[in-house]
Amino acid sequence: MSGEARQAVAPEGVHGDDLVVRIGQLTRMLRDSMRELGLDKEVEKAAEAIPDARARLNYVASMTEQAADRALNAVDRAQPLQTEIETRAETLDQQWRTWFENPMELDQARQLVNDTRGYLAAVPEMARDTSKELLEIMMAQDFQDLTGQVIKKMMEVILEVENQLLQVLLESVPEGEERDALRQRMEDRNAADTRKREEASLVNGPQLTAEGDGIVSNQDQVDDLLDELGF
Amino acid sequence: MDKGMSILVVDDFPTMRRIVRSLLKELGFTNVEEAEDGQEALGKLKDGGFEFVVSDWNMPNLDGLEMLKQIRADDGMKALPVLMVTAEAKKENIVAAAQAGANGYIVKPFTAATLEEKLNKIFEKLGK
Repeated sequence: MSGEARQAVAPEGVHGDDLVVRIGQLTRMLRDSMRELGLDKEVEKAAEAIPDARARLNYVASMTEQAADRALNAVDRAQPLQTEIETRAETLDQQWRTWFENPMELDQARQLVNDTRGYLAAVPEMARDTSKELLEIMMAQDFQDLTGQVIKKMMEVILEVENQLLQVLLESVPEGEERDALRQRMEDRNAADTRKREEASLVNGPQLTAEGDGIVSNQDQVDDLLDELGF
Repeated sequence: MDKGMSILVVDDFPTMRRIVRSLLKELGFTNVEEAEDGQEALGKLKDGGFEFVVSDWNMPNLDGLEMLKQIRADDGMKALPVLMVTAEAKKENIVAAAQAGANGYIVKPFTAATLEEKLNKIFEKLGK
């Protein structure tokens, strides 16, 4: 083995290799203990929870982005309407002011009157369109509820991960105060968790994707299902 | 149909309660109160005076389904129309809600048009 060869070369090498061998032995011992105690399964579960947490965060990021886009698009559509209402009114007002300072011929006045009437007829529709955009902005805020639910669910997942890792930690700490304190901490957390897990499995929050068995992806599907059930 | 009817909106997220309240206002219903979970809602409903309930499902203390079941089990409240508006989107959810006596089920995210349509459908069925 190369270790032996180095041993013959320099005195410092002896100490260094001893350490390497010892570390190797400890690592093997740790691995064996973990397997014996079933802790490698715990770590595996913890690792598996990470993709779920990632999917949830992805959902939150995309929902918030969509909501922002929706709101900004609505603003883009509403702004020109408001500008038009404003500028046309200002123009007509100016023309009327000018007319009053110097009342003009009937024909020219008629044009101003027609323009003004045209404006008054156009305003309600423009105002209604703006209102529609305001409604759209309001509806876009529904992301807050959906992302909030997903985040709550994710907290549960993270708690579970923490639990698994604490379990591993617990087993690796020698008997004594430190271990008892850790065990107490885990028990407290477990009590809270068990309560949560006993809640109905019907409470899952928003689905992250629309695919999957037993998942309904839109209102039409809900209506169809209700029709099927005879409701 | 009486647009002055008193409606209770139940959801643990204030933003959602606010959105539903605004939509109801757009449709002419201004007599709206709020509750943040099934427990608070039952308290308010028992005091009386409500003619319609719009409720979320996923809430702390008492969720929407449990609240619905308790409403249907109470002599004084059992005829109260209840419209579920929720993110719960598994078939088993819809089945459970229908069997528990929900008058309608809207899945989030929803549109103003959907809310109006489902409300009207419920009023029609109740002959209001």
